Amino acid sequence: MLSGLALFLIPAWIIQPFKHQSPRALELALEVHAIAPWGTLIAVALAFVLAFTLWKQVAIWKRALLVIGLALATAATVMARIDYFEWMFHPLGAPGFQTVAATRLDPGEMVLAVRFGNDARAYPIRAMAYHHVVNDVVDGIPVTVTY
Amino acid sequence: MWKSTVAGQVLHFRLAGINNQNFLMRDRETGSWWQQVSGRAIAGPLRGQTLELAPYDELTFGWWKLESPQGQVLAPVTKDAKEYESNWEPEVAKLPTVIDFPGSGLASRDVVMGISRNGVSRAYPLTAVVAGSPIQDHLGGEPVVLIVGPDGKSIRAFRSALGTNEIELFKKSDGPWMLVDSLTGSEWNFRGCAVSGPSTGRCLEQLPALKDYWFDWRNYHPQTSVFRR
Repeated sequence: MLSGLALFLIPAWIIQPFKHQSPRALELALEVHAIAPWGTLIAVALAFVLAFTLWKQVAIWKRALLVIGLALATAATVMARIDYFEWMFHPLGAPGFQTVAATRLDPGEMVLAVRFGNDARAYPIRAMAYHHVVNDVVDGIPVTVTY
Repeated sequence: MWKSTVAGQVLHFRLAGINNQNFLMRDRETGSWWQQVSGRAIAGPLRGQTLELAPYDELTFGWWKLESPQGQVLAPVTKDAKEYESNWEPEVAKLPTVIDFPGSGLASRDVVMGISRNGVSRAYPLTAVVAGSPIQDHLGGEPVVLIVGPDGKSIRAFRSALGTNEIELFKKSDGPWMLVDSLTGSEWNFRGCAVSGPSTGRCLEQLPALKDYWFDWRNYHPQTSVFRR
């Protein structure tokens, strides 16, 4: 159970927004993150086997601990498969566009602007500061707008 | 802004983490991890690859629509639009940083225009650019010029040369906003194109310039110098 939790928590702990990441720690976080999906699965399976083995032999309060442990290991297994950063940062699926005339934006607001051929596009920074990543195609060229 | 094609494969990126307050993205196709500011894959199957920069501008909406009246604007997502912070810049400026590079005379969240030419990098503090535009400089053996546009906010950088001849640009003192070059006396607009005089029709080569916080620029360009007037 502990190893399952660790597989989720080590990368989650290292990759915190307001924390410093040393190159070594980041590498460790990404390595652990890579093995976490199947690692947590093995850990949770072992945890269930262990819990069933012990269930009959232990006192009631220890059974409660087993249930809590199983719940945590299961949660870690789920979390290792979820990009929880997307809860915070609201990714944009398929971007929609509008004409200049239809756009309600103060003339002083900043935009990221790209032009390929006759296709000119503007991405208001206020929206980009919220969504951060937009995958788009401009005049046939796939681009990734980031902010 | 990056072109999303790597070795013939189109990648689609999603936010996946953060590294010293610069985003990490993962691509849906290979699951590699990419640093947002450098376009480099730092882990996963494509580790070591770098995305190709897509030339882009950071402009005011007012100026952009003058240049691109037929352009398209990213539509706000209805359910999120009320969350778009109108005042996010001063808010972000207050957030703590996790890496600092003292001794440069710049604060961590001072905004700089970062330019690299031939492996040489320099940070141009925004306040210095706004106060001194057009800023003439040499970087990595190339003449460069940073120009604040007629709106007072949009900034572009150009290679300050006509062919092999280096030029200097000056702001015209009277009439509508226009630059004049030292070599031919032609008038240049904010797109870097000559609109009157002997150079009419010619355009300067625009250079990539990254508007960034000092700490982030310095972190990814450890050898950077800082422009001083």
